[in-house]
Amino acid sequence: MDLRRILLNLKIARRSLVQFKWRTSLAVLGVFFGTFSLIIVSNLSGSLAVKTEQEIDSLGTNLLIVRSGIVRRVGAGTPLMSQATNLTPEDARAIKDSIPAVAALSAAGYKTFPVRYGNVSLKGILIGGVEPNFQDIRNFHAREGSFISEQDNLDRNKVAVLGRTVVEKLFGDEDPIGKYILIWRVPFQVIGIMEEKGSDVSGADQDNQIFIPLQTYLKVLVNKTNVSNIFVQITRDDLIPATKTDMEALLRKRHKIGPGQNDDFAVIDMKDVMALKTQAMDLITVLGRIAAAVSFIIGGLGILSIMILIVNERKLEIGIRRAVGSRKRDIILQFLIESSIISLAGGTIGVFSGALLSVILLRVLKYPFTLSLTGLLIAFGASVLVGILAGIYPSKKATQFEPVDIIRT
Amino acid sequence: MAAPVCIMENITKSFHVGDQDLQVLKGVNLTIEQGEFTAIMGTSGSGKSTLMNLMGCLDVPTSGRFILAGRDVMQLNDDELSELRNEHIGFVFQSFYLLPYATVLENVLVPTLYREKKKDHVRDRAAELLKLVGLEERMKFRPTQLSGGEQQRVAICRALINDPELLLADEPTGQLDSRTAEEIMNVLTRTNERGKTVVVITHDADIAAYARRTIHIRDGIITES
Repeated sequence: MDLRRILLNLKIARRSLVQFKWRTSLAVLGVFFGTFSLIIVSNLSGSLAVKTEQEIDSLGTNLLIVRSGIVRRVGAGTPLMSQATNLTPEDARAIKDSIPAVAALSAAGYKTFPVRYGNVSLKGILIGGVEPNFQDIRNFHAREGSFISEQDNLDRNKVAVLGRTVVEKLFGDEDPIGKYILIWRVPFQVIGIMEEKGSDVSGADQDNQIFIPLQTYLKVLVNKTNVSNIFVQITRDDLIPATKTDMEALLRKRHKIGPGQNDDFAVIDMKDVMALKTQAMDLITVLGRIAAAVSFIIGGLGILSIMILIVNERKLEIGIRRAVGSRKRDIILQFLIESSIISLAGGTIGVFSGALLSVILLRVLKYPFTLSLTGLLIAFGASVLVGILAGIYPSKKATQFEPVDIIRT
Repeated sequence: MAAPVCIMENITKSFHVGDQDLQVLKGVNLTIEQGEFTAIMGTSGSGKSTLMNLMGCLDVPTSGRFILAGRDVMQLNDDELSELRNEHIGFVFQSFYLLPYATVLENVLVPTLYREKKKDHVRDRAAELLKLVGLEERMKFRPTQLSGGEQQRVAICRALINDPELLLADEPTGQLDSRTAEEIMNVLTRTNERGKTVVVITHDADIAAYARRTIHIRDGIITES
C-alpha cells in the first residue's frame, strides 16, 4: 500500500474513532505517561551527568587527592578518617620527582582559626596553607589582586587571599586589598580575592575560606611540618588509575608501612566520589523507567481493548472491504497502522510535554540544559512498538470474519 | 466471440449443519457471456444467495468446474480470490453496504485501495461515475445523509470503479420503493448497454423483466426460461 492509500484509510478510520472518544483518550493517556516519564527521566539524568562532569572539572582537571589519615570503615557505612601527622611536603616532592605522570602538585594544610578585621570577628574560618600552583591544579583562581607567589611561600610572607563569603562578612562593601586582618593573633595583608566557586561535592562553601602560603601556615600558624592534603594533577585522564597505584606504593614505602598494615593516607579519585553521587540518580532513573514501562503496558492494554472494540464494531466494514478485494494482510496492516497511530498520538503528546516540563525543571533546578536525543528516539520507538504489539491480536481477529458470514442480504 | 465471463459446470455446494451435510447447490451448469444482462430468480431457500456468493468468489464450490474471467476459481488461494474480486467483480448489495464513516467519494474509492496495478486519476474516474448517476453534487456527503436510492447509486459506482468484467447485483432494489427501484434498474440497464456484463439476483419478476435472460433456481437446480 502506498502512502495515498494509507492516508485515505486513516481518514476513514479517524472518523470511526470519534465514537469511542473516551476509551481512545484513556488508551492514549497510558502511552502519554509512558513517553512523558521516559523523556523526563532521560533529560534529567542526562543533565545530571553533564552537571557531574562540570563539578569534576571545577575540582580540577585529572585530579587525585592524597589525604592524610587512616581510613576506617565501620561496616558498610561511611569511611572515618583519623588524624595522622606524617604526610609532609617532602612526600609531595618525592611524588613529583619519581612519578612521571604527575604534571603538578600542591601540598596543603587546613585548619580553622578565628579571623578578625576591625570590630568584626569570625569564628572557625578554614585557613588553607597552599602552594602557588594550587590555583591551576584546583581550577580555582584569584579574581582580584593576586594569588600567593613562589616568593611569598619561600619568605613565609604573611599574606592572605580571601574567599568571596569571607570578604562579604569581614569587609562588606569596603575594598579589602592592602588591608590587614588578624588570623588567630597574626596580622596578614590581604593581596587578593578568589573567584566565586560555590559549594563542593560535600556541600561545604568553598568561598568561606582563606588561603595563605604553605610555609607561612606551617611555620607561623601551626608550627608543624606535616600537611593534610596533597593535590596532584595527572598528565592524562587514562593514567589516573595507574598513577594512583604508584602513589600508594610510594607513600607506603616512605611511611614504612609493611604488608598487611593499613595505609595512614588515602588517595582519592574525585571521579569515584562522583560515581557514588550518581548512583542515587541511577536509582531514580531505574524507577522512572519502571514507571514508564508500567504506563506503556497500561497504554498497550488500553489500545488492545479499544482495538478489539473497534474491530467488532467494524465487522461489516471488514466484510465489505474483503468483498471488494482486500486481502487478509491488507486488513491486518490497516488495523496495525491504526493502533500504532493511536499509540503514536499519545507518544507525540508525551514527548513534547515531557520535553517542555524537563526544560522548565532544569531551569528551576539551575541544571545544565540537555535534551536527550536517544531518550526522544526510544520514547517514539516504544510508543510505535506498543501500538503494533497491541494491534496484533485485534487485527488477526479481524481477518477471521469471512465476508460471506457478514454480508447477508 | 470473446470467451464467456463465467462458466459453471456441475457445481455443487454443501454446508455442514451439525453433523449432517446439507447440499444447497446440486449440480449447477451455467454460462454467462460477455455483455449479457441476466436475472437469476428464485425464492428464499432456493440456493440463489449461495449461487451469488460463489459467482462473486466470496465462497468456493464444493465440487465442479468454475471459470471466472478466464481463471480456474477452484485453484485459487485466499489472496488470489481477493485479487479476482477486486479486479473482475463489482458487487451491489441489497443493504448498500457503504462505509458509514467515509464520504461518498471515499466509498467509491475503497476498491482502488486494494488494486495491485495502480491506476492514475482514480479520483477523476470516481467523479465521472458519480456524475453519470447524478450524484456529482453529493461527493462530500456521508451515506447517512443520502436517500436509499442515492446510496445504491453510490454502491453501483463503487462496483464499477475498477472496471470489472462482471457486475453482480444481489436484490439491488430489495430495500427501495418501486419508483426508486425503477431508477436503479435503469442505471443497471444503461451500464449493461455500455457493454458491462450484469447479473441480477432477485425474487421479483418485475425486476427480472429488465434482464434479457432469466434463469430460475429451485432447490439447488437451475432451469432457464
